Amino acid sequence: MQTLVQLIVMVFGICTLVFFLIRLIPGDPATAMLGDYATPQAIAALRADLGLDQPLLVQYGRFLGHAVTGDLGASVVTGQPALDQILDSLPASAALALSGLAIAVLLGVPLGIVTARRAGSWTDTLVMIGGLLGISFPVFWLGLVSVLLLAHEIHLFPALGAASSDDLLDQLQHLALPALVLGVSTAAYIARLTRSAMLEALMQEHIRVARAMGVPERRVVYHLALRNAMIPILAIIGVTFALSLGSAILVEAVFSRPGLGSTILKGILARDYQLVQAGVLVLALAVVVVNSLIDVAYLAVDPRLRRA
Amino acid sequence: MLDVATQPSPVTLDRDAPILEIRRLRTEVPTSHDPIVLLDDVSLQVHAGRMLAVVGESGSGKSMTFLSALGIAPPPCRVAAGSVLFEGKDLTRFSPEELRRLRGAGISMVFQDPLTALNPVFTIGQQMVEVIRAHRAIGRRAAWAHATDMLARVQIPDPPGRMHAYPHQLSGGMRQRVLIAMAIALDPRVLIADEPTTALDVTVQAQILELLDGLRRETGMGLVLITHDLGLVARYADQVAVMYGGRVVEAAAAGPLFATPRHPYTRALFRSIPRLDAALEEDLPTIPGHPPNIAELPPGCAFAPRCWLRGARADCETERPPLVAVGEAGHRSACLHWPDMAHAA
Repeated sequence: MQTLVQLIVMVFGICTLVFFLIRLIPGDPATAMLGDYATPQAIAALRADLGLDQPLLVQYGRFLGHAVTGDLGASVVTGQPALDQILDSLPASAALALSGLAIAVLLGVPLGIVTARRAGSWTDTLVMIGGLLGISFPVFWLGLVSVLLLAHEIHLFPALGAASSDDLLDQLQHLALPALVLGVSTAAYIARLTRSAMLEALMQEHIRVARAMGVPERRVVYHLALRNAMIPILAIIGVTFALSLGSAILVEAVFSRPGLGSTILKGILARDYQLVQAGVLVLALAVVVVNSLIDVAYLAVDPRLRRA
Repeated sequence: MLDVATQPSPVTLDRDAPILEIRRLRTEVPTSHDPIVLLDDVSLQVHAGRMLAVVGESGSGKSMTFLSALGIAPPPCRVAAGSVLFEGKDLTRFSPEELRRLRGAGISMVFQDPLTALNPVFTIGQQMVEVIRAHRAIGRRAAWAHATDMLARVQIPDPPGRMHAYPHQLSGGMRQRVLIAMAIALDPRVLIADEPTTALDVTVQAQILELLDGLRRETGMGLVLITHDLGLVARYADQVAVMYGGRVVEAAAAGPLFATPRHPYTRALFRSIPRLDAALEEDLPTIPGHPPNIAELPPGCAFAPRCWLRGARADCETERPPLVAVGEAGHRSACLHWPDMAHAA
């Protein structure tokens, strides 16, 4: 119940923020649609048509009123419902973000554990420098380099676009490179955090006790300590999901993949308020939903959070 | 419930041969220059069915002695010399895997703070089964049943229910009982209790000590009580070793040690125990100065700078006193001038 109230308040806040932020961007849809040679009369007419001549608060009230019924307005460019357009481009982005996150977790968590066990060793130093590079290089740069190396030079993967058919293999091939780029760049965060969470967990008194009681080192690290470290690791996975959604937009741009990112970007360029509002709202909801799932996962990992 | 105090008398014991004997143990922290010596020339004996109390201030090396002996001194500490004999074998020659198999099974430990010594994200049962199955090739179900029996043995009410509890659902005293159950689950020959009651309130302290003492009598295991509580020592211990600055400064049977301490440090410790019959206006005697910094021990007797007996004796500052036999059988002291204690105040 409490979570539900939190959710509603958050979604309301996000709607409000998105509504006002996009209107802070200079330029308006009418001017953008009619082009450089439009007459002031034509622009004024279109603005009235779109309801843009009304005071901002009136526009906001209308937007909220429609939003609660699930109506986020029609795109001013295509005339289609904005939400439908966004939901159409969602699956491609979701596939990219989730596979990127999966790669990041599968790569980052084991690397973090291994480096924590050998803290201060050469392996540790090398992996941590690699991780720092991964965080430091922007994801679009990693994308461009990987296109050059893995697609252009050695033809391992198709460079651009999405699959043109429903063939699963074809789709996976097109997904592989963008997902890898996204995964590697976020794996760096997860590896670093896992390392420090494991170091912290391994220093606990109960780990010392387990060792003193003769529990084998492998069980101590991968079972007893890891379960404790899972709490901060889950937290960073939640944060990373939001991050990788944002990065997914950049990655889509680099690889010319259709998806939420390119749809929202088009909307911003055209000052298509409705489309952008719908897009950002869906993205924000995705982050909220994933983080709520993480909260549930906390309960599974940490008995202290459960009610007695 | 099992009342250990009324159990018939203990297993017959060979009272002379120690089951665990630490001989001239030396533990160091290597540095780029001279190593820092944490323990030097520490010798102790643990006998079956008896309680050895190891007494001393914080940092005197009480815990470090046993952590070193079991190969779990925190790195970079390392055993540099000496031997640790358990059932005729030298533990300092054991491989890490051999030591692991010994820890928790042949020699077990109970720690100071039961609040942090249990893993917060596993149930009591899961943690006990983990330890049992680390040493015995038995199934989960058999290990679970054995763990439940052990909880009953340390007088925890409703053992099957408690097996499913998480540590935060139990009181401090209950958690210490769980840790004791875990420590004795594999029938250790020696149980080392490292300040097991320091973190508990007074009424619970007595219960825990009674429990440990009962288990000792019942199983005939050797019990080591690491403590700075001399009241507990006087009440329970058979043998006492007093440590100061990483060395044993006095060792004796409990009776003679309390009656006639043969080291100035031991006597100072006894005097600093609060007494109910002391006049209210009298200040509690304290030992002047501070415990020594283990990295900068004086070349002679480590206690010399704080010693009330010392006067103007130059040899205390130049000569490190060896632990030698004094008076009664088995009573040993590391004071060059112990005979003078009888005359001094």
